[in-house]
Amino acid sequence: MASSDWLNLRGWIGDSVSWSMDNVHDLLPSEDVDLQATISPPPGIWPNDIVIGPIFNLKDGFAEIQPALEGFFSATLVCTVVFTTLMLTMLPIPYIERKFIGRLMDRLGATTTLRSLWVGESGVTAGEWWNQLPFGMGAPIGWLNGLLNSIWGNDHSLEAVSRVNNRSYHGYWFLLPGFFQAFADFTKFAGKEHIVPRNADKAVYEVAPVIIISTTVIVFAFIPFGPHYYISSPELSAIFMMAIFGVAPLGVFFAGWASNNKYTLIGGMRSAAQLTAYEIPLLITVLGVCVISGSFNIIEIVDFQISEGNVWNIFMMPLGAALFLVTMIAEVERIPFDMPEAEAELVEGWWTEYGGLRWGFMFMAEYMRCYAACLLFALFFLGGWEAPFQGTMESLPVIGSLFEMILSIIPGIAWMLGKAWLLFAVFVWIRASLHRVRTDQILEFGWQWLLPLSMVNLAIAISLRVFIWDDGWGIVAPLAMILLGVLGFVILLVDEDKEALESMKRPYSAHTVVKASPGSHVDSEAVS
Amino acid sequence: MAEMWISMGPQHPMTHGLWTLKVKVDGETVVDTEPDLGYIHRGVEKICESRDFTQITTYCDRLCYASANTWSHSYIYAVEDLLDVEVPERAEYIRLIAVELQRIASHLMWLGAYGPDIGNLSIMVWCLREREMMMDLLQELGGSRMHYNFPRVGGVKRDLPHGFAQRAKAKLSLFLDRIQEYEALFDESTIFLVRTQGVGYSKPEEMVNHGVSGPNLRAGGVNYDVRRAHPYSVYSELDWEPPVERPSIKGADCYDRYRVRVEEMRVSASMVLEALEKIPRGADTYHEPGDPAIIAKAPSRAPEGTSGYHHFEDSRGESMFYIAGGGEGRGKQPYRVSIRSPMFITIPYASECMIGYKVADIPAIMGSFDPCIGETDR
Repeated sequence: MASSDWLNLRGWIGDSVSWSMDNVHDLLPSEDVDLQATISPPPGIWPNDIVIGPIFNLKDGFAEIQPALEGFFSATLVCTVVFTTLMLTMLPIPYIERKFIGRLMDRLGATTTLRSLWVGESGVTAGEWWNQLPFGMGAPIGWLNGLLNSIWGNDHSLEAVSRVNNRSYHGYWFLLPGFFQAFADFTKFAGKEHIVPRNADKAVYEVAPVIIISTTVIVFAFIPFGPHYYISSPELSAIFMMAIFGVAPLGVFFAGWASNNKYTLIGGMRSAAQLTAYEIPLLITVLGVCVISGSFNIIEIVDFQISEGNVWNIFMMPLGAALFLVTMIAEVERIPFDMPEAEAELVEGWWTEYGGLRWGFMFMAEYMRCYAACLLFALFFLGGWEAPFQGTMESLPVIGSLFEMILSIIPGIAWMLGKAWLLFAVFVWIRASLHRVRTDQILEFGWQWLLPLSMVNLAIAISLRVFIWDDGWGIVAPLAMILLGVLGFVILLVDEDKEALESMKRPYSAHTVVKASPGSHVDSEAVS
Repeated sequence: MAEMWISMGPQHPMTHGLWTLKVKVDGETVVDTEPDLGYIHRGVEKICESRDFTQITTYCDRLCYASANTWSHSYIYAVEDLLDVEVPERAEYIRLIAVELQRIASHLMWLGAYGPDIGNLSIMVWCLREREMMMDLLQELGGSRMHYNFPRVGGVKRDLPHGFAQRAKAKLSLFLDRIQEYEALFDESTIFLVRTQGVGYSKPEEMVNHGVSGPNLRAGGVNYDVRRAHPYSVYSELDWEPPVERPSIKGADCYDRYRVRVEEMRVSASMVLEALEKIPRGADTYHEPGDPAIIAKAPSRAPEGTSGYHHFEDSRGESMFYIAGGGEGRGKQPYRVSIRSPMFITIPYASECMIGYKVADIPAIMGSFDPCIGETDR
């Protein structure tokens, strides 16, 4: 049973295109058009009459090409609408990044992220725009603002942060201070000069951003926002999309190599080196998802979670969700895995030499990849466009039908976007609280931990599917899996030998460092 | 990959100032290093020869932008040795408070810069936020936020303002709470531990031979703190111990240096709190500027042939001032001022420490030594 959603974008577009095509078809004249002319040359030159020009029927001719035309126009329209949706719904991503991390650093916690909607910092209200409304209509907003300020307003121990953060105010007509910063940034990038370093490999230098940006955009062709809200859905869309997702590091390597800069070279090398460490566990984790859902198609994976399996995958394989999150953070190169652009030692890593619009687009591509990662996590593990515990709520005895009515009004894309934005907040949270690992450490982590764990996850998925799955698993299997996960966590927590940890001292880096005698790397190898 | 030289600096995120570290790398491994200093040499020692003893304090403030008070006090103690001035005890306590607050601010600046060095930006904002509290307190004392020009020959510029003790206690107790949050963010993060533990070993005997001092040396297990070894001011009257790490057999790594500085912030905070209790005539009394209780009368001229000397526990190590007084008709001005900068000695050693580690460890190691180029180049 496929999931239903009243927001039938593809259906609407297909219907309206075929309706207009039918109208065009009806408008065409039904009689033949005769453009034929007969020339009778003198018999001595050519014996027969010569016939030039066709006789054709517009209506029949149009009917022949109508399916192709409909396909073309509806595909174009769907692409345009979905891509516009993507770009518009991506605007909150940098906004969340900026606001959420700002508030985490404020030490005031997550709830205050939203405070900038109604208040500036240090209790200074952002322009008090409500006073500009006529007839004192804004007064209640002012009262509410005062109340919220008194509860969650900054105190005076936060002056440094407050001074800085007040710059997000752009004027009273912007109800979302800082929301449109992305446009300002884009305008700035668009106005900058394009510089190619003198000894750079110009062709590759220009091609690398194209590879990165185009593959990033193509990824979104396979990501559905809803059951009828996608560009394309081939049979193997999950595999196809992961393959395209993995192309961008190649572009990163190209960019690093072609820029003719030592920092970019090291950045590109790091990107290539860490690629294998996370890409293989990531693919095996996605394989686990596909196994448990019985399909390589993303929409069918979501449908499995909604109707067939009736449980989100995160409850069936919490380990897989954790692995997917970690490897995806590595894939989109965010802290703690952003060694290719480690700004402390490599200035800006592989894109040091890029500037202007290319840099802006690559930065956008970076955030698009983050956004894609969040959407994929929502699709693979959080039930896609299903409301949380929708099935349970709708099957409640008395109020179930009420829930059903309410939930049928909310389109699936709302849940998708909510989940994705929430997940991005998790990404930001991770960025704000972790440091950057070293390349050799992620290689070690990837090969020693992520790869075996992803194999375990695959084994769990296979055994769940083969041995437990039998026309649905009811409530027992997910509960058991969650309990197992919690149990494993608790065992690890209790089993943690504090003394052993003390004596171990250096979990990963113990043998990575051999101190050379000064000035000679060769000597150090000989000594060790 | 072939070996190549990378020039990190003079403008590079790792440098924390203006200098160049040339690094020879083999792939990701550092094979050789060569520090290149002197970009912001201002000739402070030479300038001092043409200034009065009182005017030099402001130049000494500007030796280090992160730790101005320690440098001006370091100079003032040397001048008082030269001019043979007896400083009132209350003034010594006020100086101690100012210097220890400055030490906290400087270490906070270091911790805030060390976070981005290994990839975490949150700690920078957190530290600068707490540094703001210290700056506010120092502003109450000196009237300025960065270069205070607080000490005077023979005492201090101003007494503790009304209510200073109360505000200082409130802010320091809040600060002591928040150090625990830094530790929660750093020590409980495995990534931080694997980035700092076992990285950048510096052997104590090598450090002693090079002349490295201060927290970097104490991280190596050498219990040498000028405040304790050669007590000046009223440090011997307070109840405190310099934090000394017990490093592994290989020496002190970045983590040890981090621990020492965090502990030192605690010690400094408790020292200030104790000084506010023990200060003669109480912290709540107030004396106008120029009152003999806070400033002693000092001669403005130094006789010819005399010299003053003092070594001082700066935030980054042992700073020394040697001042030769007098000269023909130049009694008001020093004949020669010589400054020993701890970081000028530490930076070459730190550059040597990072050989054999990875490129990613360069900022982690260099940052852990807390370089300040202002005092290095003088």
